[in-house]
Parts: sequence; structure tokens; C-alpha cells
Amino acid sequence: MPGRLGDFWRRLCARIFGASRDEVDEELSYHIARETELRVAAGMIQEEARRQALIAFGGVEKTREQCHEWRIAVRLEALGRDMRYALRGLRRAPAFAIPAVLTLAVGIGATTAVFSVVDRILFRSLPYHDAARLVSIGIVAPIEPQEFMLGYSYYEWQDYQTPFEAITSWTGSSNCDLTEENALRLTCASVEANFLPTLGAGPLLGRNFTAEEDRPKAAKVAMISYPLWRSRFGNDPAVIGKTVSLDGTPVRIIGVLNKDFELPTLDDADVLVPEAIDRESERGPSPGRVRWAFARLKPGVTIEQATAVMQPLFQQMLTTVPPQFRKEVHLRIRSLRDRQVHDVKLAAWILFAAVMLVLMIACANVGSLLLARSANRQREIAIRSALGASKARLVRQIATESLLVAFMGSLAGCIVAAVLLRIFQGFNPQGIPYLEKAQLDLRMVVFAVAASLVCGILFSLAPVLPKPDLETLAGRSSIGARHGLVRQLLVGAQIAVSLVLLAGASLLLRSFWNLQKQSLGMGTKGLVTAGISLGELHYSKPEQPMAFFQLLETRLRKLPGADAVVISDSLPPGGWHHDHILAALRVEGRPQLADGTGGTVAWRWVTPDYFRALRIPILHGRGFTEADRNSAAHFMIVSQSLARYLFQNEDPIGRHLQPGLEGPWYTIVGVAANVKNGGLMGGDEPEYYRLRRNRAEDWSRDASVTVETPMALGAMQHWIRSEVAAIDPTIPVVTQTMEERVSKLADRPRFEAALLGMFAMMGVLLAAMGIYGVIAFLVAQRTSEIGVRMAMGATKFDILELMGMQGLRMIAAGTLVGLAIALVGSRAMGTLLFGVRPDDPLSFASVCLLLAVVAGLATWVPASRAMKVEPSQALRHD
Amino acid sequence: MSSVERSVIHPMPAQSTELLQGTLDLLILKTLALAPMHGWGIAQRIQQVSQELLQVGQGSLYPALHRLEAKRWIRSEWAPSENNRRARFYSLTRLGGKQLESELENWKRISGAIALVLEGR
Repeated sequence: MPGRLGDFWRRLCARIFGASRDEVDEELSYHIARETELRVAAGMIQEEARRQALIAFGGVEKTREQCHEWRIAVRLEALGRDMRYALRGLRRAPAFAIPAVLTLAVGIGATTAVFSVVDRILFRSLPYHDAARLVSIGIVAPIEPQEFMLGYSYYEWQDYQTPFEAITSWTGSSNCDLTEENALRLTCASVEANFLPTLGAGPLLGRNFTAEEDRPKAAKVAMISYPLWRSRFGNDPAVIGKTVSLDGTPVRIIGVLNKDFELPTLDDADVLVPEAIDRESERGPSPGRVRWAFARLKPGVTIEQATAVMQPLFQQMLTTVPPQFRKEVHLRIRSLRDRQVHDVKLAAWILFAAVMLVLMIACANVGSLLLARSANRQREIAIRSALGASKARLVRQIATESLLVAFMGSLAGCIVAAVLLRIFQGFNPQGIPYLEKAQLDLRMVVFAVAASLVCGILFSLAPVLPKPDLETLAGRSSIGARHGLVRQLLVGAQIAVSLVLLAGASLLLRSFWNLQKQSLGMGTKGLVTAGISLGELHYSKPEQPMAFFQLLETRLRKLPGADAVVISDSLPPGGWHHDHILAALRVEGRPQLADGTGGTVAWRWVTPDYFRALRIPILHGRGFTEADRNSAAHFMIVSQSLARYLFQNEDPIGRHLQPGLEGPWYTIVGVAANVKNGGLMGGDEPEYYRLRRNRAEDWSRDASVTVETPMALGAMQHWIRSEVAAIDPTIPVVTQTMEERVSKLADRPRFEAALLGMFAMMGVLLAAMGIYGVIAFLVAQRTSEIGVRMAMGATKFDILELMGMQGLRMIAAGTLVGLAIALVGSRAMGTLLFGVRPDDPLSFASVCLLLAVVAGLATWVPASRAMKVEPSQALRHD
Repeated sequence: MSSVERSVIHPMPAQSTELLQGTLDLLILKTLALAPMHGWGIAQRIQQVSQELLQVGQGSLYPALHRLEAKRWIRSEWAPSENNRRARFYSLTRLGGKQLESELENWKRISGAIALVLEGR
């Protein structure tokens, strides 16, 4: 790269400044060699001849410098002259220069910033060798949106598949602690031995896992990530072979991952460890471990072919699935990128399309401005041409001016882009991969600048190319009228594009509004939450987490202002929670539910305060009590929707349920109101709550602590952290208020709506500038005509109508075309919308109205100026 | 153009005092009008044709060549020379040809005028 760049640079310099230094050197040394030869031929010895030749030549270095100075001086002089002229011209025409530079700045800035974000999502190459052949493979079922595999079928597939070079998988990551001096909480990902080779991601240092190391009871080994290597081991290569203590077990580090390594699912991982799963036991009757599988296609095999070839294996796997679920299980093979960007893809494409539309509007605006400028310069050009300026000279001078505008616009555009990117990252919505890593994309800056340059040069040169005629010289321009038509078309297109942008933005804004004002079914005020995850080492026995959380609960209750303390394993309205298919819920006294059509049911472990703290009303029966916690019986509360689904109009209180078709039966003691549990945009699943009793089997190492308090929430967060630290200072705690939690869920729709809204506003602004420019230009050009008309008896209103109609025609045509495009295009936004139809009449009507008002104003201002024309003066015009 | 010449010629004092300013350009153009040639060859040729009366200082020859090239009166390309080494050959462009004509015209007028002043009384 530096070589190619250097080469390019040298060639560029040679182009601008003529011969390079090396060439001059070679030329001069040739001269000296010939002089030396002459003297040798005359009988001198070689060294003396050369010395004499050098003396005769004089200062070689000085000559060399002078050769250069000439070239640079001549070029700079010409460039400087054109520049000075262009600058002077621009300063005389601020009405052209300022809008042009601003338009370019907005267009280039917005395009570059957005492209820098979506590039990493849509176009960036993945950090694996030949990543185009990598696919994600697995089955999709209602309980998990992304494809996954289960152990027993996975090994079958691995052994009998044909379309892939290799299949590999990982079984998820978990917290693990570096239990040494300065203990550190890490994320360990368990992968198969062939994980890195299949992905085509080699280690930076050391080696991959061997098949032996991936067996159960093998000596423990690990590979560490580059960031961990840097922060913990100071980039020391001697870390290879070092033994560290992970969760109390000695583990030998055998490799360091590449700097840009990432898991194909984009999950975090500090350490990779072998799965060390016993394959034979996985092939047994139980479904086996859940895993995420990735495969490398054989060369020339497409995803469609691979899917077809895998069908028999999939069908065979289906026979092991209980018949009632088979309908809901499908095979899915898709490219790794599709797997990674999953639901962000549509949003990214829409943003990308939006920003391209803004760039289009900006280019049209610059083109329109340049056309107007060149129309105004017809006479100047004609005069200069008549005075003997060559066409090349005129072209060069006008091109210099366009380049100067483009240069200033690009410079401002880069600043705008940097600011915008900072703003995007300030939003920091979750679920948009790579956003925090995005940097200004140089390729896009170049592209945007090039696009504006091309349209600039095209429009600015158009008027020069036909030979200026006598008519123009006399100021009776006919070319101006022709340009007027082009400009009107441009403005019409701008309005159409703006309308498309505005419609998209208003739909997103409305759906964001709907998201915000929807009822969650729970309270969010006065609640502090804390996520706590206990380490494997000290909390491996079931009693240990229970003891910890019970102690924590007692201590938190003693805090002043802690009205309610809840320890649950998850929280609504979004994020992770347990779920399973509805058919896996057995009702006492009934046959097992037939055919798994009902979708999934969510459930949580909760303590009695849960419903009071989250202000979820109990509709029938009662809530959990403290006394229930000491009972040997199992208690459950179901949501209203689950009660209705299972029992219709019967009374659910006192009925018994068996979740998961095995284990204890639970007694329903109450029915709680429905609560949003599938995120803000997701649908609501029916839900049930299990009571966490004072028994070890009801507890796990991860929990969400919720405290209700009337006090300042910041202070309560601080107290929770210090209470946890007082019990065990090594445990990391993440606290936030419930309102922050909920608001974070709306980050992405907010981000999308804000971005598209911003672009739409830019588009409208630019289009308004375009309309204003065209009408003002028409008025200026037809001033004398207006004078004549008024002298002949036209009223001011007639003049307004004459000029205004021009604008109205553009607006009407642009709006109609835009409306048609928007109606078709908005259907693509389907899944991004919430509670609003893609053809929402209110949105479209208000958008049309807004655009009509803005465009009407932009027409009115210059058109009304035409009314004020004094006939006597106008007739003297020009 | 004239302003450039003035401003850039100043810092280099005329080492070739034997040549009138501006005449070197004329001599180079005239020489190249016959055939493309490299720098050394141009110097040799001018010496030979003038019967060793005109010595072209190398210190001004090469800057002049580069200046003429920058003005696009001559162009250059690398080619093997008569002793089989790579050399930079200069040749006249169309623009250079026109320039030569007008400079020759000019030269004749001026030298004629000088002759009139010096001889006539």
C-alpha cells in the first residue's frame, strides 16, 4: 500500500511539476558522462576527465534546483492566476457561493457520516479468510430468533454433510474469573477445536487448539484475545505457555488471537477455551447442548444448493422432534453477514438510501445554482470570447471556480461529517453493531467529493461549450430560458425526493411516538435495578448463591427508603428472560396440549415484592407472601393472557401446572395483569411467575435486584453497590434506574427516527433553497418583461400569478411524483414501524402539507418581489 | 509570462554572459527544429555550428530546457542515445514551432535595428 501510494504520489507530482528529481539527476549525469568521454578520448585518464567535466559544468546542485524552480513557478503562476480570478468572482457573487458551499457541506457531510456507520454493517469485509464462503447454519424455532443447533443432530450433520468443507460451532460464553492477584472478571467462550481454522482466522501468536485438547478431561488450555493480552500481559510474547488460574483451575495459555478477531456472532469474548464435550454422550437420547454452528461452503457451492443438499439430514433430525413442534422448526442457512446484521440490515439500507437521496438533492441544488450562475455570466463569457479568449482558457477558468467551490464545500463537509459521526455515537443505541468503532470513511469522502465535482463541472461547463453568439453578446439571452427549464425539472425532482424522505421520517417518528406512549403494564418511576452475576469459583454450590442473595436482600431492606426489595432473575419489558413453547406447559387433569401452535410463554423467578415494586396489579387471587417462601409447595402466578389461553372463562386459582412437562407441579395462586415482555416493539407473550422460595434449587448465580424507593435514585444506586461490595467486593454490579432501562430499549427506534428526520429536514431545506433560487432568477430575468406588462395594465396580482404559477407547477408535479414513490417505497419499512401502517394517511397528508407550505413560501418571497417592480425602472433595466 | 521570466531569472545571475538574454531559448528551439536531441547534444551542436564561438553554459542550458518544456514549447522523452545509454531527448512541439517563427521574426527585426543604429549615422 505505501509503495503503491508512493508511486501514485510521484506520478502525480511529475504530472504537476514535470520531471522528478531522479530524472533531472539522470539527465545531468548523462551530460557529465559524455563530457568525460570526450576528455578521455582526448587522452586524459578517467578520474581526471571526470573531475574536469564536473568543473566545466559548474554547480550541479544549483542547476538541478533551477530546473525544478522553473517548472513549479510556471505552474503555480497559472494556477494562482485562475485561483485569484475565481476567488474574486465568488466574492462578487455571494448569493451563489454561500448556498453552493453550504449545500455541498451538508450533502458531503451527511453522506460520509452515514456511510461510515453503515459501511461496517453492510459492506465491510469480515475479519476471516474468504469470508464470502462462511455461512451460519442451524434450525429456527419460536424460542430463539437466530438459528441454532442441538448436540445430537449437530454431530450427525458434521459427519454426513457434503456441501461444506467444514462445520464448526461454539456453545456460548459465560463469565469466568481470572483468580489470581488482581482478580479479573472475564468472558470465556467455548469453541470446538476446528473453530478458528474453519473461520479462517489464525492466531497472532502461538497455535490453535488440537483435537486432543477438545476432549473431556484433557489438560486445560486457552487462547486469549488481543485486548486482554495487551491490558493484562503487556503484549509480552512470553505469555504463550504461561499457566494462569481461571475460576480456580490452572489453565495454560497456548495462543493469542488476532487484533481484529471477533466471534462470528459478535459476542464479546476475552478467552477462548475448548468445549471439551463428550461427543458420544451428546449423541444419546437427550437433545444435547445448544450451540451456534458455522460452516465453510465448498468452492462454487451456493447457499441455495447447500440448503437443498442438507434437506435429508434436516428431515432426519425432524423425526427426533416431538411431532407437535415439527411445524414450527425450519432449516436455515444464511451468510455470516446476514446472521450478524440480522434485523439491523433493513434500517441500515434505509439510512443509506436516505443519505443517497440527500446527496442527490444536494447535487441537484449545486447544479441548479451553477446553471443560474452561468446564465448570468453569458454576457461576460461572450465578451471574453469576442476579445479572443480561447475556449480552453474559458473552460479552465470556469472549472477552477467550480473546483474551488467543491474544495471549500468538501472541507466544510468533512467537518460536518466528523460532527455528525460524533452525534451518532452519542446516541449509542444498542444493537447497531460496530457503531462505536466507526470512523470517517476516506473512500466515502472521496466519492462524495467526486460526485459533487462531476455534477459541478457538468453544469458549469454546459453554457461554455456552444459558441456564444451575437444575441448573447447583446444581452438578449435565449440560452437562459433553456436552462430555466432544466432548473425547473431539477427543482421538481428535488421536491419529489424530499417528499419521499419526509414521508419515511414521519412514519418513523410516529412509530417512535407510539412506542413511547404505549402502556407497559408496569411502573418505571422510583425503581433502581442492579444486575449481579456471581463467579463460578466461590458460588458453585446451589446454597451459595441463595445465601448471598438472601443476605443481600436482608441488608437492602434495612436501607432507609428501600420500600420494596425484589430479587428476580430477569425484568420486563425487554431483554433476556426464560421462555419455552406453550405446549410444554401441562395442565393438571387435561391431556397434554396438542400441536405446538401457541407460540412461546415467558417466565421468571421472582420474590414476593415483585408485583408491588413494579406496580403490576393482581387481578384475581393473591400475590406471593413471605410465608409462601418457607413452604415446601410450589406457587405460581400467571398473567391474564396465559390464564385466558389455558382456562378461557374458568377460574384458574388453585389449578396446577407442570412447566417443562417434568418436575414439580405448581399451584396457581393469582392472576397478574399483562406486562410487556418482548421488548418495546415485540409482541406480548403470555407469562408466568415462579416464587423463589428459601430453597437452593430456586436460585442461580445471576439475578436482577430491584429496589423501590421514594428517594434520589442516584444515592440508592450507590448504596446498592456498597452493600454488594460489603458482602463480596469482587462481584461486579451494574446499576441503572428502571426508566433508563426502558429508555435504552427505545434507543434504536429513536436513533433511526432522529436520523431520518434530520435528513428529511436537510432535504426540505435544500429543496426550498432550490425553489427560491429558481423563482428569484426568473423574476430577475424577466424584470423588463414584467415592466412592460405592468405598463400595459397588468395588475400586481396578475404578476404574482404569472411568477407564482411557475413555482406552483414545480411543486405540484414534484409532490405528485414524490407521493407515488413514497407510497411504494414505504412498504419496505414494514418491520421498522410500530403501530402505524406504511401508507398512514395522516403522515402522508401532513408531509404534503408541510412541503407545500415550505415550497409555497420559497415561491412567494421572490414572486412577491416581482409585484413591487416599478414599470418605469423595469423598462430601463439592462 | 513575462512577469515569470523576470521574477525567476533574477535569482540566477547570467552565467552565460556570452549569450544575450532570450537568445538561448531561440538557439535551443532552432536546434531542435532540425531533429530531437538530448541536452548534451544541443550544447555540442550549438558550439559546432557557431564554430566554437558560442559556448553554452550547462548551468543555464538545463534550466532553460525545463523552462521551455513547462511552457509546452518542447516536449521530452527517454530514449537510448547513440552510445546506448538512456538519455532524455527533447523535441519541438507545434506550439514551439510557432514560437520559433515569431522569435525568429523578432530577432531579425531587432538585429536589423541594432545594425542600423551601429552602422548608419
